[in-house]
Amino acid sequence: MKRIVSIVMLVALMVFSTLAFVQNASAEEAKMVGTISKIEMSADKKSATAILKDTKSGEEVTIIITDEQTLDKFMDKRIVEGDEIRCKYEKVDGKNNSKIFKKTAGC
Amino acid sequence: MSGKIVAILVGCSLLAATVQAKDHPGKEYVLKNGYQGPKTCETCHPGKAREFLGTVHWKHASKVDHVDNINPNEEHGMKDRIYTMCNGNDIVNNLKEVPPNALGKTKFTGCNTCHPGDHTSDVGSTGPQAEQAIDCLICHSSKYDFSKRKAVKDKDGKVVMTQDRSTEAAANIGRPTIKNCMICHEAAGGGAMIKRGFSMAKDAEVHVTKGIICIDCHQVKNHKFPTGRDPNNWAHDGIYMTCVGECHSAKPHSDADYNRHTATIACQTCHIPKTGGAFSKDFTKWEKQSNGFYEPSTLKREVNETAPVYAWYNLTVSNTPHFIGPKGSRTDGKSKIYPFKIFQGKAYFNKKDGQLLSMDFAPPIANGDTLAGVASAARILGIKDYEPVPGWQTIYFGSNHQVTPKNKALNCANCHALNGVLNFKELGYSSKEVERLTNPELYFEKLLKLQQENE
Ligand code: HEC
Ligand code: HEC
Ligand code: HEC
Ligand code: HEC
Ligand code: HEC
Ligand code: HEC
Ligand code: HEC
Repeated sequence: MKRIVSIVMLVALMVFSTLAFVQNASAEEAKMVGTISKIEMSADKKSATAILKDTKSGEEVTIIITDEQTLDKFMDKRIVEGDEIRCKYEKVDGKNNSKIFKKTAGC
Repeated sequence: MSGKIVAILVGCSLLAATVQAKDHPGKEYVLKNGYQGPKTCETCHPGKAREFLGTVHWKHASKVDHVDNINPNEEHGMKDRIYTMCNGNDIVNNLKEVPPNALGKTKFTGCNTCHPGDHTSDVGSTGPQAEQAIDCLICHSSKYDFSKRKAVKDKDGKVVMTQDRSTEAAANIGRPTIKNCMICHEAAGGGAMIKRGFSMAKDAEVHVTKGIICIDCHQVKNHKFPTGRDPNNWAHDGIYMTCVGECHSAKPHSDADYNRHTATIACQTCHIPKTGGAFSKDFTKWEKQSNGFYEPSTLKREVNETAPVYAWYNLTVSNTPHFIGPKGSRTDGKSKIYPFKIFQGKAYFNKKDGQLLSMDFAPPIANGDTLAGVASAARILGIKDYEPVPGWQTIYFGSNHQVTPKNKALNCANCHALNGVLNFKELGYSSKEVERLTNPELYFEKLLKLQQENE
């Protein structure tokens, strides 16, 4: 019995990991330049969502931000709605997790 | 010894913490009377505004006497220098609105956005109006609302920088935090961590982890900021600093083998093994962005991703049109080996005199026309006789921040193994000496013992 459970687990794990792999492969890292149309801080201030409007396509993308430095920039308004952002994000389970979230800048 | 260092470090950070914790004694006054700019502060801190006008942070310049080929009686800095990290200066890139791009959009641009004035009182201005224009709160407030600090046109069409002068911001005064400093320092060179590829995040730097911030190391007195000898940080307030001082001695290790090296090798060489940010830019060709604006083409890496270049440095600087970097040698008795971030930039040089030309960024930002930028800069500077030809410049930047955890500092084998980080030959050692310096005899026993201890 124990053995069967573990085999089932193993198969389940394999299926799961293949799925996970497929999902990752089909939705790897993406990047965009967009204008912020909305910033929303979570209640615990440990994350935020920002809606970026792609400057090329006009498409709206919702990004989740969790890094402390960017969150701080939202709170003291170093980054505000209307700012143009260069963003790199990872799609995981249909969510877009920010890896890099910087204001665009010339020299 | 190491216990003592820890005690000092803890002491430094405790000091920082206690000072920050208490409320500013002027708070009640500000809440009651509101904030009218520096004169409010000066009811209790007389003379501070006038004092500030004399510093590098206001003037973006100072006399410079350690750099070749400049007049030591004139003042230089971001105000007037030209190099290829940013191919202009405060004069040719004075804050302005760029012409509309192909999509009809415009924006404001200028080097002096990183100046704590209001642009009407600009870099190096003096007098009572300038005193009252200083943005004291950008450095001293913990409640600054940065959406209130931006370039706008006033009612006469003049471009000005606005400030947060709210009572809320002025009521929350203290010693500047890392964030206050990073408002300008993070984005130097055209974007976050471009010029200086270091992070001052809590988990990235050993001092910051312990609560030590910029101004615990840079001990500012009367708004004079101590600085080091980065070959591309010319302007200074007359006070120099190194890693050795109040917190560290020149022989800080319990291990004599390391202490023996500090006479010839700078602390940074072993303790800051990586650098990062931009390593090359092309100002002759700008890239079009999806928003219709152009940016100088830039090759860059993330922070702490680039191996530095090591060179002897005697704290004086070679400055020619194609090279700005350290002078020094193994034999001059004054040099040590320092780590540098090497950077190469392409821009236009004047064929007539070989000098590097500067560029007004407004035209190329709008339409990518870099020669129009050169022409505009030449007009502003009154240069008539020039013929622009593209060329490269090599610059060395000091790598002086983001001290790595001590178990990642360079150890014996990192340098003395055959594939070590130092190129002994290029550093001036003879073949015979190189043989000796790369002989495992130097470190084998020691590292073996360390390995046994750690296993
Ligand atoms: C009503 C008087 C008063 C006013 C107004 C006032 N301060 Fe102070 N401030 C003080 C006193 C008193 C101290 C403590 C002095 C000392 O320790 O030497 C102090 C200390 C400071 C310190 C050192 C803080 C520290 O933690 O080390 C700073 C910085 C400072 N003030 C900045 C300002 C600025 C900027 C303004 C204007 C927004 C201002 N002050 C307005 C009275 C005032
Ligand atoms: C985001 C703020 C910011 C902007 C905008 C900015 N700078 Fe700077 N710049 C700095 C800081 C901070 C330093 C000094 C520290 C350093 O070099 O890391 C500096 C230093 C310099 C230096 C070296 C000065 C010296 O004393 O040797 C030059 C040259 C320079 N900048 C050129 C420019 C040019 C040209 C522009 C505009 C095209 C520009 N900077 C825009 C922040 C800025
Ligand atoms: C570029 C940043 C910056 C700006 C702008 C600035 N300060 Fe400071 N100020 C500092 C730093 C750094 C210290 C040293 C703090 C420390 O180490 O405790 C300091 C210290 C002070 C102190 C306490 C120590 C002393 O020297 O008396 C006062 C008061 C002060 N500043 C007032 C002002 C006022 C008033 C203004 C505007 C006219 C101003 N500061 C603008 C950075 C700045
Ligand atoms: C308003 C923008 C701004 C802020 C805020 C600011 N800096 Fe600077 N800082 C500059 C610029 C620009 C330069 C380069 C000027 C030049 O070299 O011409 C500079 C130069 C320096 C230098 C080298 C020159 C010198 O005076 O020794 C040091 C060190 C320095 N800053 C430290 C700090 C620290 C620490 C803080 C926080 C208390 C700070 N800065 C806040 C813009 C800023
Ligand atoms: C652990 C101490 C320490 C901390 C923290 C620190 N610095 Fe420095 N900094 C130094 C030393 C030491 C030098 C000079 C090294 C030399 O030239 O030998 C230096 C040099 C500089 C320079 C000159 C240019 C360069 O990079 O060499 C600037 C500008 C500067 N620091 C700004 C800052 C700012 C802004 C912060 C906070 C974000 C900061 N520093 C935090 C120790 C520190
Ligand atoms: C040749 C390389 C080298 C040089 C040069 C060097 N260090 Fe170190 N340092 C190390 C290494 C490796 C360690 C960690 C191993 C150890 O402590 O023996 C270390 C450890 C330290 C420690 C931690 C000591 C402890 O016991 O926790 C401090 C502080 C330190 N160094 C400061 C400095 C200062 C300041 C300088 C310049 C005067 C300097 N170092 C120069 C390689 C170097
Ligand atoms: C940052 C690179 C670096 C590290 C790390 C380093 N060394 Fe060195 N070492 C050098 C250089 C460069 C010299 C030559 C110095 C000179 O010219 O005076 C040298 C010289 C020596 C010498 C003298 C050799 C001779 O014959 O002249 C000995 C012995 C030595 N190192 C041993 C060590 C040991 C043991 C360690 C580890 C504890 C170590 N080194 C770590 C760079 C390094």
